[in-house]
Parts: sequence; C-alpha cells; structure tokens
Amino acid sequence: MSGLSRSAALRVKLGLAAPALHAASAALWEPSGRARRYVAYLYAMHALIRASVPLMEHAARRCAQLAPGDPVAGPLGRYLAQHIEEERGHDEWLLADLAAAGADPAAARGALGPPVVAGLAGAQHYWIEHHHPVALLGYVRVLEGNAPAPWLADRLAARTGLPAAAFRTVRDHADLDTGHLAALDDLLDELPLTPAQEVAVAVSALHTADGVARLFLQLAATPGGSG
Amino acid sequence: MTDTTGPQDTLARLQAAGFDLNAFTDDQREVLGALTPHELGVLVDIKGRLDETGPEVQAHADIAGGALF
Repeated sequence: MSGLSRSAALRVKLGLAAPALHAASAALWEPSGRARRYVAYLYAMHALIRASVPLMEHAARRCAQLAPGDPVAGPLGRYLAQHIEEERGHDEWLLADLAAAGADPAAARGALGPPVVAGLAGAQHYWIEHHHPVALLGYVRVLEGNAPAPWLADRLAARTGLPAAAFRTVRDHADLDTGHLAALDDLLDELPLTPAQEVAVAVSALHTADGVARLFLQLAATPGGSG
Repeated sequence: MTDTTGPQDTLARLQAAGFDLNAFTDDQREVLGALTPHELGVLVDIKGRLDETGPEVQAHADIAGGALF
C-alpha cells in the first residue's frame, strides 16, 4: 500500500487520463465553427447534467436501504443529501444559456440525448444498483474536478460572438466547483471504504473521464445539432 | 476478473500503451502498479482517445481545459 491518501491515489490515476481530456477539450474549442459547436456543447451538457440529481437521488435511496449495517452508507447518504441541493436546477441554467445563444431550449428537453451521455449516466445507475452507491463518487469527482477555468466564459464569449448571458453555467461553475472538489476529496479520505469500494470509485472515475473525452471528440467532429 | 499480474507487469503494460511514467514518484508508481485489470483496461482506452486527436489539434489550441460541472 502506498503512502498516499485515497484522494491523492485517485488523483494519480486520473492524472493519466488528464492529457486525453485536455486534448478532447482543445478539439472541442477549435476556432472553426466555434459558436455553433458551443451551442451543441450546451445541448450535450444539458443531456448530461439533467441526470445529475436523479443519479444522486438513486444513490441516496440505496444508501438508505444499506444503512445502518453499512458503515459507508450513512456518511455517503448525508453527503449526497447536501450535494443534491447544491446541484439542483443547474440543468435549467443550461436551458437559459441555450435561449440566450438563440437556440431552442425545448429541443433540449425533448432530445433523446447522445448515446455516449446515456452510457455515462447509465453506467452509474448500474453500479449504484448492482454494486455500491459509493461508485458514484468517481463520476462526481471527474465532473467537479474538471470545472471551467475562471477565464473560460469570457474567452468563449469573445471568440464566439455570442452574448455574455449564454455563458452563465460555465461562468458560475468556475467558482462553485472549487469548494465542492475539496469537500469530495475530504469525504473520500474519511469514508471507511473497503479496497473493492476504492477500486469501484476509481473505475467509475476513469470510465467517466473516458466517456467525457469521447463526448467532446464527437462534438468536435460533428458541430451543431440538438442531439 | 481476477488480477494475476504483479506491479511490474502492470507498469509495463501502461508503458506499452504509451504512458510515460518517468516523472512519477515511488508512491505514485506503487499506486499505478496496483491497478486492477478494470482500471488498466479503461486507461488504455483513454490513451486511445488521446491518440485520436493528433498533435496538431493540441499544438494549435488557443482554448482547452475543464468544461464540466
């Protein structure tokens, strides 16, 4: 066993995935067709983010079923209850951004959603139901750990020509997610995880990083559209 | 899936997939040497995504980085 904390060990594993995520985001924001691709990104992120609260609610229900005999379920359930409220409504922010960008929010509400997004969220439902709800922390770790830089919203606004109001979700998450990430790392280090549960968190995180890289590369290759 | 490989085999598989492990500390290499087959398999897939993009996209990027929430 290494001398690293659990959160530090996960950071090492995700460090191997980071160059692929960085390259996929570079492809996503390539200059050609950037405004159209930003709108496609908003549609895709809405498809992903509308699954966040239902995923956490699923995990919280499983925690309630497992507690009190499961020492992880109690503290995990309390974390989820708080984080659900922090994340609630953020899919609505994306709909407002779409409207500000001149796109149709109703198309996002009714969209099937890209298969890769269904694979990202669907894998989490599987692990929550059939393994342990703690796996969801790997998914949350990747989403919170790859928050937008503080300059991203302004730079995208300047280079797409879209109105500043179309970037609220990107702008506000640059501030929000720093605190969320620290709280999540603390939780990972404090939970009495078994080695198998620690692996579940890592596999979930790596699977999420892979899916997000796939999603960004697909958006880069197929600009526009409502999914 | 049962992990029957040792740490050196696991590190060798990462390197064979194209990961450069030279900059990692001993503690970090210990973490990577203990990767399970599931973890290793997903990492190899991820390396394939990186190879898909090609160096020209990354070289000419003026915006990159996190865009998740």
